[in-house]
Amino acid sequence: MDADSDVALDILITNVVCVFRTRCHLNLRKIALEGANVIYKRDVGKVLMKLRKPRITATIWSSGKVICTGATRILLFLLYSEEEAKFGARRLARSLQKLGFQVIFTDFKVVNVLAVCNMPFEIRLPEFTKNNRPHASYEPELHPAVCYRIKSLRATLQIFSTGSITVTG
Amino acid sequence: EVAYSQSTGQKEQLSRCLQRGIRRVQDLCKVLQLPVAFEETAVCYLQRALQLPAFHLASLEKKELLGGCCVLVACRQRRWPLTMGTVCSLLYAQHEAFAGVFLSLQRELGISVPALSLADLVATHLSSFRLVQPSASVPAAFLEDKEKLLARTVAIVELASETWLVTGRHPVPVVTAAAFLAWQSLRPGPRLSCPLARFCRLAGVELPPPAHLRLRELLDILLAMASQLSWLRGFRLDKKSVVKHVGELLQHRLFLLKHAFSQQEQQGTAPGQDSGSHSPAVAQQQGCPSAGQGQRGGTLRPLLPPCLIHPRKRLRAVAPSAPATATTGDEPISDSEIEQYLRSPEEIQAFRKAKAW
Repeated sequence: MDADSDVALDILITNVVCVFRTRCHLNLRKIALEGANVIYKRDVGKVLMKLRKPRITATIWSSGKVICTGATRILLFLLYSEEEAKFGARRLARSLQKLGFQVIFTDFKVVNVLAVCNMPFEIRLPEFTKNNRPHASYEPELHPAVCYRIKSLRATLQIFSTGSITVTG
Repeated sequence: EVAYSQSTGQKEQLSRCLQRGIRRVQDLCKVLQLPVAFEETAVCYLQRALQLPAFHLASLEKKELLGGCCVLVACRQRRWPLTMGTVCSLLYAQHEAFAGVFLSLQRELGISVPALSLADLVATHLSSFRLVQPSASVPAAFLEDKEKLLARTVAIVELASETWLVTGRHPVPVVTAAAFLAWQSLRPGPRLSCPLARFCRLAGVELPPPAHLRLRELLDILLAMASQLSWLRGFRLDKKSVVKHVGELLQHRLFLLKHAFSQQEQQGTAPGQDSGSHSPAVAQQQGCPSAGQGQRGGTLRPLLPPCLIHPRKRLRAVAPSAPATATTGDEPISDSEIEQYLRSPEEIQAFRKAKAW
């Protein structure tokens, strides 16, 4: 790629994982009974609650810790953002308040963001790995992509030969 | 004279877990006939790994796999071609579990593991073939000289590497397909009618499932190259007859690759590309060798990774929302929005009755 060439790249955020705390104990049985779109996993002690807008899945523990992850439909990539993740988390907290819990929305934090990007060229993975050790690791017997770790950003990139790149971190 | 490692003195200082691990490493090295230096390196890695909490507190099953991982790392660092499949079969291990331990070992010890060399893998893979040694179960017409087979297979694997058939793929099916083509091309007469499955049975090796697909891709590449050879243009070559000319095609492969897949003056979009910015012109500009469009009997065949030429159905992106409706995360939430996530009292009663809580 020439240094002077100006190719615009679309970086799409496809998933955001966030956590928050409710500062109160949550009765999972009550949530499972009175909440809609809820799956109660009694054996592992958690409840899954799905919201439609934004499309998120929340994992709720009785300690009051909640993890929200974005969901994708089978045929659609959902463009997601950290702001939508916060909005979804707040809606969930509000739903728990409506169920009768003394919820205080605190300690909200985005813990993981997943983004995808397509380069306008193919990438020869063995040569790329050779030129980028020790950050890059390529095991074709395990996975078809190069795993490139940036320790300072705590990010991991999966680089495919088609030019598609997935960033997690 | 007894070596210190065989005396009881050393064993008293080592934990049972470490003793078992060292014994496992020694057994693996004996079965694989590895030099002594490999065993020492593997044992050293094992001792270092078991001192770390990530492995010291791991399950027994993981510790069993750790020995195999250390042997694999030692082999890779010394360019000894050993695949994960071989180690997994020796340990009777699940591939996924082994992969997890291998990646953890790399990460925790901070060691750099070189990639598996394809050329070395080809040599090791072919040496296990029964077709290179006289045997009662192998017909005379199917026996082949090992050096000739190795040279031809390496050339076909290099061709596969240059045409995007190796990148991102498991190496063993590529090597198997290349060995099969090489074997057929060295004496096409009696061998063209032999299918891949029978070839693997005669050779005494497993047939990996993707090998059929790799073979088909290799034949497509050879057919495209054959269309550029002037003395072959008059012939109607197909996937069987092109095998007879593999030697000539490999001899002139640099020239043929360039001309079979060189960019035409009239540029159209290559088939199967979903991104507007991904045109063959741009791809060639980026230094991708011989990318572009080629014609063979009217069909377009750019030299791109096969997954780009025959893509699976791609997910359709949702139209991004207009800037005016961009979310800030702090929008007010109305009660009516929340009501849809709560059951009505009647629904709660019905649900309680159904679940008998």
